[in-house]
Order: sequence, then structure tokens, then C-alpha cells
Amino acid sequence: MFETVATTTGLIIGFFCGLLPLGLGIKYQQIKPGIIGFVACLLSGFACGMWGGVPMIILSTSVVVSYIYVNRQDPFTSRQSLDEVDFEESTQEYIVRQMASLGRTIRAMSRGLLRNKGGFIGFLGIMFFVVMTVFGPLVIEYEGDIQMDRRQPGATTLLQPPSWEYPLGLDWWGRDIVSHIVYGGQNLIITSIQAGVMSTLIAVTLGSLAALLGGLVDQLISALSNFILTIPQFPLLLVLASILEFDNSFMLAVLLAVLSWPALMRAVRAQVLSLKERDYVEAAITLDLGLYHIIMREIFPNMISYIAINFIFAVRAAMYAIVGLVLLGMSPLTEPDWGIMIWNSRTQGAFYSAKGITWALAPIVAIALFQLSLILFTRSLEEIFNPRLRKGL
Amino acid sequence: MSQQPLVELHGVYRSFEKERVRIPVLQDIHLNVYPNEVLCLVGESGCGKTTTGKIIASLLDASEGEVLYNGRRMAEYDRKERSLIRRQMQLVHQDPFASLNPAHTIGQILGYPLKRHKMVNGRAELRRRIWELLTLVDLTPPGDIVNKFPHQLSGGQRQRVSIARALTVNPKLIVADEAVSMVDVSIRIGILKMLHNLRDMFNLAIVFITHDLALAKYFAWEGRIAVMYLGRIVEIGRTQDIIANPAHPYTRALLSAVPEADPNLTRKKQPIPLRSDEIPRLTAIPPGCAFHPRCPFYQPGVCDVSVPRLAQAPGYAQDTACIPLTTGEQLVPYGT
Repeated sequence: MFETVATTTGLIIGFFCGLLPLGLGIKYQQIKPGIIGFVACLLSGFACGMWGGVPMIILSTSVVVSYIYVNRQDPFTSRQSLDEVDFEESTQEYIVRQMASLGRTIRAMSRGLLRNKGGFIGFLGIMFFVVMTVFGPLVIEYEGDIQMDRRQPGATTLLQPPSWEYPLGLDWWGRDIVSHIVYGGQNLIITSIQAGVMSTLIAVTLGSLAALLGGLVDQLISALSNFILTIPQFPLLLVLASILEFDNSFMLAVLLAVLSWPALMRAVRAQVLSLKERDYVEAAITLDLGLYHIIMREIFPNMISYIAINFIFAVRAAMYAIVGLVLLGMSPLTEPDWGIMIWNSRTQGAFYSAKGITWALAPIVAIALFQLSLILFTRSLEEIFNPRLRKGL
Repeated sequence: MSQQPLVELHGVYRSFEKERVRIPVLQDIHLNVYPNEVLCLVGESGCGKTTTGKIIASLLDASEGEVLYNGRRMAEYDRKERSLIRRQMQLVHQDPFASLNPAHTIGQILGYPLKRHKMVNGRAELRRRIWELLTLVDLTPPGDIVNKFPHQLSGGQRQRVSIARALTVNPKLIVADEAVSMVDVSIRIGILKMLHNLRDMFNLAIVFITHDLALAKYFAWEGRIAVMYLGRIVEIGRTQDIIANPAHPYTRALLSAVPEADPNLTRKKQPIPLRSDEIPRLTAIPPGCAFHPRCPFYQPGVCDVSVPRLAQAPGYAQDTACIPLTTGEQLVPYGT
């Protein structure tokens, strides 16, 4: 994902992707959504190249179409009687109708995002960190080597407090702390998200299986989760980490996921147990809609906000665990990394000197702010995914 | 009625286990549902009406006894036939707020079964059929409804959607489980009339479950009523017979409690006081006739000894489960 970060090619891809929503917006006099779509395409193309531009062109065009489509004659929203309606439609009309419906959903979701103030602040916080790790490297150069020339006359170390030139000061080796903050989040955030995704996948799969199949399967899965829950997590992680001696962060994410699924699994199991007794599931059984339909269409959409919230919590927990491991020196020490910044500042004694205070505090504040943004953002998730809270569309 | 019944219940027992205690919910139920008839199940809450309805709709199995669908047991059908039989019996739930999935639009709710069972060819026909169904249940103009979510509709509208959903698979029988009890009183008659029209239009049988005898009287005037008490059917017969000449003391007590629209009539009615207002628990059903501790015509030594069976009593057209009546005795108030 980050190989294509912020290149000129990406910018060009984003520009051309953005032309479609912009052109549509201008043609049908929906300038505002057109421009927003253009900017969204430009930015996502810039950030992720084709992987960002192409999905965004579909999403933003759908939103523009949903604005245009309201005024068009649609047999589905007209007041004609049955005989007057022409139900035949071409493939093109069908695609337009589907896009309009997708656009309406996106608009409803973004409205849900804006409704909760705390959640929106959390979203802005997450976006800040994403923009910083993706676009920051364009502005700020990474300093990996020792900078002997920055030693001030008479000083015994390269360590420096904040100054106009270096807003967060210099570390033990005279490197700019700002550059380490900007570059140091990438690995940590990606590894935490990997661990969160895997943990949620395991938990949702096993939880639904346990609840739907019941009997022996349920007992086995529950027993396994109880077993893992009784073991103190962090000491076990420490022991495993020191035995396995990771050389890449993906393996670390796998280990974290394997240890952290049981709590969420029990929550998912309880949800499915409750949802499968609902009247609409019973109706789906008498209509003989099949097990796949019941799981994917009847049960899953009603717990998606719940799963999303728990995914965020899993990411949060994984991040703390990784930082904890790094602090104890049990994880691959590859710079730049916020966790390693804390480790370095501790081992070089920055905790005991007034000059090194920013070196020690900057990564801690960055981690804490990111965590706070995640927690605040979970407040919005319920409003984004719950169709009952979508009004007016 | 010489027709082949859609569903036959022969000596059906059903019990649930709760905390290692067996609770007998249904005992010795004999019941046939014929095509295109209206059958009302009436009784207090907890008497097993809903369980009977679910067994009829093949959502629950009987613990003991035989349930025949179109003359054969469910196990005798192969997979394909079973799916077809199951679709012939549809259930309309009591709570319209819980019976529609909040995550889907009305168009999707009606579209899934149509698509799944290939009831329509192509998109245009699918949309046409959804409009037709919505028009059938008087949700007009359909265009305003299809793209809405259930939470945007009123209780009555949702109940109509839930009936339309049952109709998607061309059922032969609809079990309406207290279908109007959670709908505003002003809308009830409209929904009941619509159900009657649908029954005529599609040759449907309707099993109407209610605790309200007045409603049963109105809805099943051309059909039959089965009165249930503590897991047994105590009286079954044509509605007109039962209303005009109730046999079982429980039915008599229920009917005497139904208020009439005419206040003079209501005042003239002689209420039949029960000896006790307490409904026995299902875990401790009284021996003999389950109704005997409350019965105003209780005969010691007769009613509390053996369980009465449904049979025609002399002087009555319907079947009733009351030993003194079926043996041709007159009912005498207890204590005189």
C-alpha cells in the first residue's frame, strides 16, 4: 500500500479519476458534490495510486448520481398505478439506479459520522495521523544517522530541547524528533490494524459458528476461549515473543490475534444467540431462504456496528501490546517506530534530564492521542451503521 | 368436510424443558386444518395457542404424536418437497416491530424470497411483482413504500408488509399469530377485512390465533373456533354453533365476559363467576379435567378423576371435552 505513496503518477491518476464526478456535477448542476468528489479522488489517488483512485471514482460518482437521480422519473418512487408503470429498464438505467442507491447510503453514513461531535473529533484525529504518516514524508526528510555537526559549543551531548529550528528538539544522536514522529507511526499502526483484522475475523467466524451450530462445537470453542482467557495475556505474550524471536512485524500481528480473539468471540456468540431468535429470522426459515441468507443478510447486518466497534478496540489493545513488547525489548527493533523512541529515550536516560523531556514525551503523546481518537471514533460507528438512525433519505 | 386436510395433528404432545423441569405445553391435540377455511384458536395466554400455530407452520416438531402435512409426515418428503411444503405454511407474527429486519428496505424484504425461489424472471418482473404485492395489502402508492426501511412505517403498515412477505411464496395456509393485537384498534378491522379478501382471492386457509373471543367471533363467523385451555382443546366446532350455544363451562364463562356493543344487552348478560381467578401453572396441571378447580359446575368425584375427551355432547353441534356434558347430564352449579 505504501509503495505507491504520494507520487506524481498517483496525483495524475487522482486527477483523471476526479474528472468524472466533476464533469457529471457540472453537467447536471450539482457543482458542490462534483467538486467534493473531485477532491476526494485527487487525494485518494495521490495517497494510494490506482488502489485509491479507482474505488473512489465509483464512490464519489455514486454520490453525485444520487443527487442528480432525485429529480428523474423512477418507477420505483412514482405515484402511478400498476398499469401505468413501465417496469422494463435497460442495463444502463439499472446501473444508474444502483449507483444512486449506493450514493444515498454513503450520504447517510457520512451524515451519521457528522452527527456525533465526539465521534467526528475522533475521526479527524485518525485522519490527522493517516495524513501525517502518508503525506508527511513528502515534506520532512527522515534522519536515521547520527548528526555530529549539530553539537552545540560546550555541550556534552547532542541532546537538545525544543528550538525554532527543531520544534521537538533533537535526540541523543542529534536527529530531529519531528521526523521520527512522522515516520514512526506507519509500522505501528499497520501492525495493530493487521492484528485487529485477524483477531476480529477469528472471533466473528468462531463466535457465529458456536452460536449457530451449538452443541459440541459450541462447547469446544467456548472451552478453548475460556482456557485462553484464564492465561495472563501479557506475560504469555512476553514468553512467546522471546521464544519465537520475530524478525517481522506480521508474525507479531498473527501472535497478537491468536491471543486476543476470545473476549470478542464471546461477545459475538452472545449477539448471534440473541439475533437468531428474532421473529424475522423465524420468518426467513418459513420462507426457506437458506442458512447462508440467514447469516449474511438477516444476522450479520444487525451486528456490523457492534463488530466495527470491537475491531477498533482490538486495534487499540494490539497497539498497547506492541508498544509494551518494544519497551521490554521483545520485538523487532527497526527504526523508525514510536515504541522504539520510548525505548531509546529510556535507555539513554532522557527521562532524567530536562533537555530530553520532549524526546520521551513526544511518542507517548502521539500514541495516547491516536488511541483517544480511536476511542472517540467508536461513538460514531453506531450512528454510521445503524439504518434506524438514518433519517430523511 | 371430505377434503384432504392441509395439516393434521393427531394426538400431539409438546413439552419444553426449562432448568431440567419438563413443562407440558400441549397435550393430546387433535386438529385438522382444511383448505380455504378460517380456524380460530382462542385461549388465555400460556394455553399453547402459539405453540400449536408453530407446529402447524412446521417451525416446531411435536414431542409425541403425528403431524401430517398434505396427508404425509414431514420426514416422508424428500428435501425439495419439504421446502415446498414448508413454504405452503406461512406465519405472520404478533409484533410487527420485530418481524421485519431493520437493515433491509421493504423492496428487499419482499424481493429476497421471490428471487430465492425463482418466482419471477428478470428484474422488471421482480419489481412488478413487488408492486403487485404491496397493492394487494393496500399499501398504496407502492412507489412510496418500496425504498423505505421498516422503522419508517407505522405498526399497521408493517403488519401489512409482513402479510405481503408471507404471500410472496404463494402459500396455502397462513398462521396469523395474534396478528392484530399489537396494531391500533382503528386499523384492526381494515387488516382483518384484507385478510378475508386475500383468503378468497388465493384460496388460503387462515389459522387465526387470538385471546379475544369477540375478535374470533367477528373474524371466523364462517369458519371454526377451537377453544384451548392449559394445553388442551376444550371445545371445537363451527363458530356460529359455539357462539349461539356454548357447551364447555370455560367457553360459557369467556362468552359471558365479552362485552356487547349494546349497553342494554351487556347489562342483561348474566356473568358466570368462576370459582377461582388463578390459572394453574403448567408444571402443576390439576388431575382430571384441568379446568375443574375453577369450574362453576364442578362435580366432585367425576371431573377430578379422569381426563375428558373431545366428543359431541347431546344437544350440541360442536365437540366438547366435558365429562358431565358428554355423558348427557345437566350442568349443576357447584355447591347446590
